[in-house]
Amino acid sequence: MVNFAFYLVVVTLGVLSMGFQLLGSRLLSPHFGSSIIVWSWLISTFLAAFSSGSMLGGWISNLSEERRGRGRWIAAAVAVASLAFTAFGGRATLNQIELGMSSEGVGLFTACVSLFFVPVTALSCFGPQCVQFLATRGTPPGKASGLVYGVSTLGNIAGVMLTAFVLIPNFRVSTLLSVWLGVAAAGLLALIGLLRLPSNS
Amino acid sequence: MKILLTFCVLASAAVAAEAGNYIERYDTIYNSLTIERTGTVVEMRARAHGGEALESAVDLSDPLKLVVPYTRSLFGALFLQPKPERVLMIGLGGAGFHRLFTAAYPTALLQTVELDPKVHELCQSHLGFKPTAQTPVAVLDGRLFVKRDKGRWDWLILDAFRGGFVPPHLKTVEFYRECAARLNDRGVFVSNLHATSELYYSDLKTIREVFPQVVIFETAGRGNVIACAVKYRTPVITDAAKWPTAESLARAPFAGRLDLNTVRDEHWALPEQAIARGKILSDDFAPVEFLDAMKTNNTKNK
Repeated sequence: MVNFAFYLVVVTLGVLSMGFQLLGSRLLSPHFGSSIIVWSWLISTFLAAFSSGSMLGGWISNLSEERRGRGRWIAAAVAVASLAFTAFGGRATLNQIELGMSSEGVGLFTACVSLFFVPVTALSCFGPQCVQFLATRGTPPGKASGLVYGVSTLGNIAGVMLTAFVLIPNFRVSTLLSVWLGVAAAGLLALIGLLRLPSNS
Repeated sequence: MKILLTFCVLASAAVAAEAGNYIERYDTIYNSLTIERTGTVVEMRARAHGGEALESAVDLSDPLKLVVPYTRSLFGALFLQPKPERVLMIGLGGAGFHRLFTAAYPTALLQTVELDPKVHELCQSHLGFKPTAQTPVAVLDGRLFVKRDKGRWDWLILDAFRGGFVPPHLKTVEFYRECAARLNDRGVFVSNLHATSELYYSDLKTIREVFPQVVIFETAGRGNVIACAVKYRTPVITDAAKWPTAESLARAPFAGRLDLNTVRDEHWALPEQAIARGKILSDDFAPVEFLDAMKTNNTKNK
């Protein structure tokens, strides 16, 4: 049961990460278009966030238990707060950036960093902690890493397909961003609960 | 001997003409383009799903000629605003519309916005377009240009395609409001639509959400519909009987190239029932690609 809940949360976070990228493209397009330039900035921002999040998560997982727990709560709070900022303040921020910055490159960089980098970094830092969760329960580290990132990537694929072919054609982007916020808050809460379970549970 | 000489001259002319033909392909950052010259006609096509979409064409022996049929329908805007002095066109293509327009209205400003720098380059190098002070071209996203622009326009023409479809951010109610704000009080918003998918009805519904009066011209047999919309309620523009006559609008360069009576005959009633089932597209909800993929039965109402 614990394993099922754990993998469900891992898949859910994978869905959120890559689905968020497609929603991000829809947020940006009224202001910057949907050119290859926009996609390059968007994809690079997400990859930078995955990278930073993984390193940050690795660092958190090496902390003492008490500090590790505090680190998780901070990461979850940052993820939820920054997703809320993107969901409710994203359009207004983009309007300000567009009016205030004449350079497309500078505007896109600022938009991507302010709206996407922080939440995706915060979500990504749970990956190494999920690996540690499995490793402390007897799964060899290499296998634990393969399982977490394999399952998470399946979630990424599901997130892209679900968002592109089901959600965007039928729902408003603002509605979807609110759903993302709610699911992220619930998913992170569940994951923090799971990560606190003793290793013999 | 004379016959043989004539044959040789004609044969060598044919070989020379054929030798001038070419097909060149370019992958730009936004498009996959084909430029094909056959005789004196140069076509610009964009690779799209299932083939190539004809973006533009110019006859180099008569650059004023409207080779692609829908470009004549763009002149339908004359019936609603007969004195275009400032025209903004989003989408350059091969500038198939530009030559005749500037010949007919030499003092008018025709500002063009084109996203793809390679299209701008090919238009000049292969399709013989030379921008002037009266026909400047800005290489920029059309929506960004409209947002930053402070001018007012008599006609604002949206004719921007990428591989046969219009980018979603140029299809929304917010963008049309931005366009309406840049029009003169009696200005006309002109949009080239494709009547072959469910997107068409959502397009019309969205345009009408911003512009209270809309008329359409359907280019016969081509699937193109030119929507002309204005931001005022009176005078009424939907009654074609009250439009200026084609003869009163004719200009010398139109002779043999543009028959405004033909354009007038392309005026159709709006497909009200189908529009009712369309969706209003917004920055928040614009499933343009999916609506465009749903082919429709385009029933006409004259």
